Amino acid sequence: MGITRKEFIKASSLIAAGAAMASVHAAGSPSRTPPPQQPGINRGVSLYSYAGEIGVTMTLDDCFADMYDMGAGGLEILANAHIENYPNPPSAWLDNWYSLLERYAIVPVEYGHWVDSRLYPGRELDTNESYEMLVRDIKLASKLGFTVMRTKLGVTDEILTPVANWQAFIERALPVAEKYNVRMCPELHQPTALKSAMVDEYVGFIERTGTKHFGLNIDFGVFQLEEGRLRIPGMDNPRSEPEDMIPLLPYTYACHAKFTYMNDDLIDPTHPYERILALLREHRWQGYLLSEYEGEGKDIIGHSSDQLRRQHVMMKRYLGEV
Amino acid sequence: MLEPSTIQQRGFRNVTENGSVIGFQVAVRSKYYRGVWLSQLRPATVTVDGEAFGGDQISWTVGGQTVRQSELGRHGDIHWGNMDAAVLTVHKPGGLVPGIHDVDITFQYSASYLPPRIDLRPLGSEPRRMVLVR
Repeated sequence: MGITRKEFIKASSLIAAGAAMASVHAAGSPSRTPPPQQPGINRGVSLYSYAGEIGVTMTLDDCFADMYDMGAGGLEILANAHIENYPNPPSAWLDNWYSLLERYAIVPVEYGHWVDSRLYPGRELDTNESYEMLVRDIKLASKLGFTVMRTKLGVTDEILTPVANWQAFIERALPVAEKYNVRMCPELHQPTALKSAMVDEYVGFIERTGTKHFGLNIDFGVFQLEEGRLRIPGMDNPRSEPEDMIPLLPYTYACHAKFTYMNDDLIDPTHPYERILALLREHRWQGYLLSEYEGEGKDIIGHSSDQLRRQHVMMKRYLGEV
Repeated sequence: MLEPSTIQQRGFRNVTENGSVIGFQVAVRSKYYRGVWLSQLRPATVTVDGEAFGGDQISWTVGGQTVRQSELGRHGDIHWGNMDAAVLTVHKPGGLVPGIHDVDITFQYSASYLPPRIDLRPLGSEPRRMVLVR
């Protein structure tokens, strides 16, 4: 049974406050109906994982078909990578987008975008320019059915401190985000630790404003073991513990299920997935785990798909799906 | 679909204007995982058989809009998607001789989400031997 685009977008938007849609993929051909809303932890994929192949050996449609095989019920796109003629997609592309979501029963979860503070050489964007860039993406994210935005801010130093005026333009955009029903979420990514002044500042902003339209995306790379971590000359890159997520979970609207290598035992030896997923289950977190493959060989045909499939078997096991 | 290498063979040919060959064009894709605004690019150098071209000898064409390299920094309004090739038109009266050419292209982009020390990231530097027919 088909539903209209408007109904689908409306249904998609209900995943807002963490309540999430799961994949219910029956065997056989892809469903024509969108997945029902269902609480819990859901598996999804960030199209970033296909960066080495998309546009060269895979189309957007191929990525959807691959995710369907995994039972991935949600996805992240990178707006300026995956939307044709960004930020003004043609109507034919939009029609195909809605059709793919419906055909493969995949929820548009997270819209990756940037507030590129160094858009112009030699100066930083002012607050007004940053706001305008942000609002353009809020509107497009909403149009495509997304309810979470991975909002990447410009940074000013080695420990990725965001630009000084970030609170000014984010706060100004909060009513717009509310109107369009999206949550702007900076990504907590190594070398940033979950216990850090930067994360405290984000949480302080959420508490001060009381907003439900700004939150966090935790990238599981923050838990990566020493042997795989980024090495930055003269800099610490402290590892966070899964328990450090606990106070942040009420504000966490999506997670990047970062991984770098899935072996034949179907584990990623440098990311403690069993502990991470056990903690999320124990604390009844609801939302999507969006796979981000960041290992070697992304341009080898089929390799990213193989790695993603392995990771999804692992996640199914730890989530109790098998 | 794009060719896997940064430098694309499709699009490699001389350019004729008002009956005379004013130069040649070569298409590139970006191996960066996201698109960029032209103002986030830094001017390219195109090298053909050891001869280097740069500055306003080169213009970029993206989505039907053409910009001289000295104007790139002003164009925060033209977006180059990484699933599209950009065409570099190189001013070289007479163009290239039909035959085999060793071509390399280097350029940089700005990444605001990285520390300012490593703001500019390199792309290109993947020489390719290509055949120009006309």
